[in-house]
Amino acid sequence: MRKLILTHEFVLFVLVVLLCVAIGIKNPAFWSLGNVFDLLKSSVTLGLLALGVLVILISGDIDISFPAIAAFSMYVTCLIAQATGLGDHIAILFGMAAATGGLLGAFNAVFIHFFRLPALIVTLGTASLIRGGLLAFVGTRIITDLPESMVAFSRAQLFRQQLPGGETIGLAVSIFILVGVALLVQFLLNHTLLGRGIYALGGAPEAARRVGFNIRRIRFFIFALVGCLAGVVGIIHASNMRNANPFDLSGLELTVIAAVVVGGADITGGKGTVIGTILGTLLLVIIGNSLILMGLPTEWHKVAVGAIIIVSAGMAAWRRRMGRNSGRRK
Amino acid sequence: MLNRSRFTMKESAMSVIRWLGLAGLMCLTLVPLGCSPDRAADGNNRYVIATVVKVDGIAWFETMREGVEAFGKDTGHRVFVLGPAKADAAEQVQIIEGLIAQQVDAICVVPFSVEAVEPVLRRARERGIVVISHEASSQQNADLIIEPFENAEYGRHLMDELARYMGEKGEYATFVGSLTSKSHNEWVDAAVAHQKEAYPGMVNVAAKIEDYDDQNLAYEKTRELITTYPNLTGILGSAMSTVPGAALAVEERGLQDRIQVVGTSLVSVSGPYLKSGAAKLISFWDPADAGYAMNKLAVMQLEGKTVQEGADLGIDGYRELAGSPDRPNLFYGSAWMDVTKDNLAQFETK
Amino acid sequence: MEPASPFITLEGIDKRFGGVQALRNVSLRIEPGEVHSLAGENGSGKSTLIKILSGVCRPDGGAITIGDQRLDSLRPVDAIRRGIQVIYQDFSLFPNLTVGENLAINDLLEHSRWLVRWRSVRKTARDAVAALGVDMDLDQPLGELSVAEKQLVAIARALLHDARLIIMDEPTTALTGIEVEALLKIVRRLKQEGVAILFVSHKLREVLAISDRLTVLRNGEVVAEGPAAEFDEAEITYRMTGRRLHANRYVLPSDWQRQPLLKADRLSGRTVREVSFELCAGEIVGLTGLLGSGQTELALMLFGIRPCAGGTLLIRGESKRIRSVRDAMAAGIAYLPEDRLAEGLFLEQSIERNVVAADLASLRNRAGLIPPSRLRKESDRWLTELAIKAPSGQIPVSALSGGNQQRVVLAKWLSTQPGILILNGPTVGVDVGSKQAIHDQLRELAARGMGILIISDDLPELAGNCNRILVMHQGRLVDELSGADCDADTIALRLTSF
Repeated sequence: MRKLILTHEFVLFVLVVLLCVAIGIKNPAFWSLGNVFDLLKSSVTLGLLALGVLVILISGDIDISFPAIAAFSMYVTCLIAQATGLGDHIAILFGMAAATGGLLGAFNAVFIHFFRLPALIVTLGTASLIRGGLLAFVGTRIITDLPESMVAFSRAQLFRQQLPGGETIGLAVSIFILVGVALLVQFLLNHTLLGRGIYALGGAPEAARRVGFNIRRIRFFIFALVGCLAGVVGIIHASNMRNANPFDLSGLELTVIAAVVVGGADITGGKGTVIGTILGTLLLVIIGNSLILMGLPTEWHKVAVGAIIIVSAGMAAWRRRMGRNSGRRK
Repeated sequence: MLNRSRFTMKESAMSVIRWLGLAGLMCLTLVPLGCSPDRAADGNNRYVIATVVKVDGIAWFETMREGVEAFGKDTGHRVFVLGPAKADAAEQVQIIEGLIAQQVDAICVVPFSVEAVEPVLRRARERGIVVISHEASSQQNADLIIEPFENAEYGRHLMDELARYMGEKGEYATFVGSLTSKSHNEWVDAAVAHQKEAYPGMVNVAAKIEDYDDQNLAYEKTRELITTYPNLTGILGSAMSTVPGAALAVEERGLQDRIQVVGTSLVSVSGPYLKSGAAKLISFWDPADAGYAMNKLAVMQLEGKTVQEGADLGIDGYRELAGSPDRPNLFYGSAWMDVTKDNLAQFETK
Repeated sequence: MEPASPFITLEGIDKRFGGVQALRNVSLRIEPGEVHSLAGENGSGKSTLIKILSGVCRPDGGAITIGDQRLDSLRPVDAIRRGIQVIYQDFSLFPNLTVGENLAINDLLEHSRWLVRWRSVRKTARDAVAALGVDMDLDQPLGELSVAEKQLVAIARALLHDARLIIMDEPTTALTGIEVEALLKIVRRLKQEGVAILFVSHKLREVLAISDRLTVLRNGEVVAEGPAAEFDEAEITYRMTGRRLHANRYVLPSDWQRQPLLKADRLSGRTVREVSFELCAGEIVGLTGLLGSGQTELALMLFGIRPCAGGTLLIRGESKRIRSVRDAMAAGIAYLPEDRLAEGLFLEQSIERNVVAADLASLRNRAGLIPPSRLRKESDRWLTELAIKAPSGQIPVSALSGGNQQRVVLAKWLSTQPGILILNGPTVGVDVGSKQAIHDQLRELAARGMGILIISDDLPELAGNCNRILVMHQGRLVDELSGADCDADTIALRLTSF
């Protein structure tokens, strides 16, 4: 019990609950079913990207090119779907975008692994290269006539119901992609040798090499994984927006990394959990989507978001130090 | 000793490889930036006029290019459009530097940052190049500034339309791209002031929500507004992305009969929502016409004609320019165009 | 103790790296159940030999025989399969994983299982710990363990592979006395089970205490080999360095005059209680005590890092208040920290930048910049003066051996021309040859009129190099030894008598 209470995830969970209670007191509309559905839908893209970044951070690397990869995969997939008519089924589109993203991620890994360049520099470069290439060579036009399957996907809702005021609410099915991917990543990280290798690589890279992990394979896998997830996010985003805008999805990287770090991952590698990442994502989504609910004037929105990030990350650091001192951390 | 020398050898070999990799990466990164303008050349009585836009390649400025090229065809002057590959003030300055070196006759500019281009525009004017600015009412170093309309007047117009759809009563929210986008704030300020005076039955419950020109944010903020204000009946958008984002949220909730979405946008992204009724009216100005008008002004200035209030630039929306009381070189058109479900068909290409 | 067949035999091994002959005609024979020590200075070829034994490096010539099989070379997998395990100085463990997982990870990799079955991981780990006869919390993250506990994990992990030869690279460097005892006990236990140990260390006392036989390397060649009983510390040192070390104690010269540089009167701090002592020009004074008796805090107070709560300090007869490092430096005090890696050096910076780091002011030209020529001249002077072995002043300090790193720290502070030099554990992790060189340097500095205060647990070091030794206990100065009392056994007796 004591161990549970001392985990980062538990502290974060308490923080999320406290935040919800506080917002709910300020404005009970926060607890309405419609709002809960909204928050869940908003967590999907951020959460999927955060899971990818979690894996990267655990391995001790970093990636900031995933928003560009998401935009590229999304746009190219939609273009191909438009040109060929492929895309009657949403799964084909997800597959195409994930493959495109995975290839671009592997491209990152080539530079990082074979040229031993720092991942930050490489992905900074490829981010600008991918986005620039997309705009310069592929196109800048917003694609509005998306395949029917994408629109249908974004319209698909569960628990659909009509409220007395004529308003309809429902739970977007994309949430199940997040749940599914979270379970997969959880399984990957904790129950496969590859997953333990990712932790090992982040904890002590030289030792990981010495005990015989295939570092090259692990690196390519994780960067390709982030690319795949970014591709999936691209399709979800375009479906939600009912258009594919090549300028979209920019500036997401810092929010995503913040969510993962708030979730307890260590930027220096070796630490982080799926549940923490999901809680970190929820925390950021709740704050970002409750500022109007709390009646904060627009001028204060950025201040509020920054303050919550610092408080939660600071709490994590403080708790970690306490845990280290008492030597009882799980 | 021994391990050490090996260490340094290996290390230096590694650093060579590392630099090679870095150089390769940089080359790749620079590829999309390599573009150069046509060499400008004088002809008989034909002026060379460059139009510099914020970003090359995006839909808005591609349309502006069409207007500029139409002007070239109509008049025979040598006209061309340039812009940075990505929205970047420094790159725009470099492009203008290049045009000064080429000694073009006139530069029409849509500045990314009004302040950033001031010095280079001053240099251009010192070399005798005519400078026309657009979407830059505070520009100091320009011969003439042409705006599609006066911001306050446009804001009042949007409020009139919103009030009409809302039946002049009820709660409404306003959006801006960000609190630092000058024109968005001017529109909204004028609109809200006008509402207080003319439509006392309406209440502005959420002021200047920022959506950072991001459709997804506009969508999420609108959902939140719907949750927070159950009596909300109107939304006034400023950025191109606000109307489609807000309309999407309204449509998803099945509230298109209750909530009226009005704002600045383009038919390409908002057309479907006008059709479905989730958005009621969008307004915009045609960048092609603005491009045409800028180039026309440049020629008038080069030919030594004085531009005055009431001047006609020969294109719709700019047939009777309005002046500005304290800035003699600042002129406004009345170039906004309203699109609703009814006249949507004639704009489907925009 | 001479079984018929050795576990492994190396014959005539040669290895070159570029133009450097790392090993020349090296032969080594290790019997099952034997503790064999490998001694040698840094750069003598010990690491290369370990790499060849573990299959990381291929020899250029010579033969390796394991059991009755003769091999030209060994791949890492072969080495592991034949039961050769290396425990590196950093243990190759994962601080972020649990003890249990650290133990089982090799096993998982070896069987290349795609999935991790936690139940079997726990079982593997429990077996490993049981085989070593120790008790450990398998769910604890490894990062929370002490160095000694981590070492146990590394040994237990090695045993999981049916290790028949465990190579321990400098296993005792970071251990306390009690922990070293525990390690030696485990080594004896392994030996009884027929596991051979190759003990690579420069701590000669431990080498002698544990080994059955030993091999000494110098410049890539075997210079001595035989039963440990035939060696003593002096003999090994001589073989390692090729020169006889003086064993004479440091005594003040006959014409020495008492000239106090520093006089502390009832200094108190957080753990230091009313300490009074004096340090004179030309003196080398030792300061010792059991761990945590306040020696380090006293040094930090003198150097302005920790605040003084009470008492007075006279520097060259003048009353001084030292509130910051800057004050201390202005008063002519220099301090070599205990953990030179963390506190004393910028590891990734070049040697020359490190050397001048404490004395930038005097190198500045009129424009406030430091001309590279001046920097190089200053650093070259110190490279020569302190005999720092480095190809150039531009390589990073991290590429140097421990002894040379320590000399760079020394150079850094000597360049400020201090009158008072305080050293904390100056020769921890330094090999015998370098240790000697550092001691010689200190004696020479004292002869030039510097006052030196050495804080150390290394009693022979203090005994051999100090004219006076101060003993602290629970923050108080409790004893002072000088002259003939300054020998290691006397100090040890005094230390344990509290």
